[in-house]
Amino acid sequence: MKKFVEESWLVLVMGIGFALLLAGTQAALQGRIHENQREATRQAIAEVLPGVATTEQREVEGYQVYEGFDDQGRLLGWVIEGSGTGFVDRITLVVGLDVDKTRITGVKVTSNVETPGLGNKIEDAAWIGQFEGLDAERRVDITMAAPDRDDNKVQAITGATLSSVYTADIVNAILDTVRPKLEAP
Amino acid sequence: MADGKVSDFTQFREGVVDNNPVLVQLLGMCPALAVSNTLENAIVMGGAATFVVVMSNLVTSLLRHQIKPHVRILIFTLTISTFVTIADLFLRAHLFDVSRKLGPFVPLIIVNCMIISRAEVVAIRNGLKRSLADAFGIGVGFTLALSVVGVIREILGSGTLLNYPVTPAAFEPHLWIIMVLPPGAFLTLGVIIGIVNYVRQRDRKGGAA
Repeated sequence: MKKFVEESWLVLVMGIGFALLLAGTQAALQGRIHENQREATRQAIAEVLPGVATTEQREVEGYQVYEGFDDQGRLLGWVIEGSGTGFVDRITLVVGLDVDKTRITGVKVTSNVETPGLGNKIEDAAWIGQFEGLDAERRVDITMAAPDRDDNKVQAITGATLSSVYTADIVNAILDTVRPKLEAP
Repeated sequence: MADGKVSDFTQFREGVVDNNPVLVQLLGMCPALAVSNTLENAIVMGGAATFVVVMSNLVTSLLRHQIKPHVRILIFTLTISTFVTIADLFLRAHLFDVSRKLGPFVPLIIVNCMIISRAEVVAIRNGLKRSLADAFGIGVGFTLALSVVGVIREILGSGTLLNYPVTPAAFEPHLWIIMVLPPGAFLTLGVIIGIVNYVRQRDRKGGAA
């Protein structure tokens, strides 16, 4: 026992010291880290549901749903956050839905690690903006040709068809699962 | 390299030039390849690694008379992982966007052999001043090497530098998409290491080109 303490006291002391240091750092910074994450969510909501002033968060079928209200307190629509399999790893995105639940007001990818320069174009406004205004009551499909808006289609990214398909799959899954359960509060 | 005759400044310069961790020692290759696709990523990664190697050398050098030889690796690892975690928390709090782009590569500094090798080679047997000079040299050398790769890959692959467009409109970055992808990292780093070795060999022959 004496030998054990002699040999290892420094490891024990350092372990305790470093644990306290880490706990202190975590306590000092976690408020800001959470604030950063909340701010990122707020920005994403504002982008997919223009005009939103306040939100009310609840959970529907395992998805985070934000009811969005304008500055008069009237219901503007919903923003639903969901994630699913991507080409590389999971993709997380938010879908905005208008108050009638018939039209997609916007989609924004909030987290992805798709291939840089190819698959990660799913986060570019130029591509993801295609979802804006699509019919929320039908499936969104991916097409290789020039998109036909009447068929509720979005054109795939050249060289990243699968990332495009997976993104649309997540949007469709959110619409299928959550949309029928939404009710004006 | 760590004998008593060289000055602290020489020790610093060794890390930046003659003994550059990435270009000469070929250590720390994982972040050098993975997060050098833009200059911003390279600088932030270099800064985080510099902080960790400085703190690791500081702690190791201060405790060098107390550390028992057979538990030293354990102590190095403990120290390094503590400061890596602190660096990661700091980035998530103050540089949120970059920390999301760097993803797991900041926590992975823990297993960067460049850092543990400085504790083992220098800090455990040298005083504080020498150990810190060494750590800053290695940190600056690592950051510079990553930045050179980052500048080349960002300009060719994305047509930007620190996110500002820098190439003429006629330049088509998407033709150079490979520079953003992993093979671009290997190609760029390979060419740079080749040039560095060529220059070093020429210098060793007495400057005859």
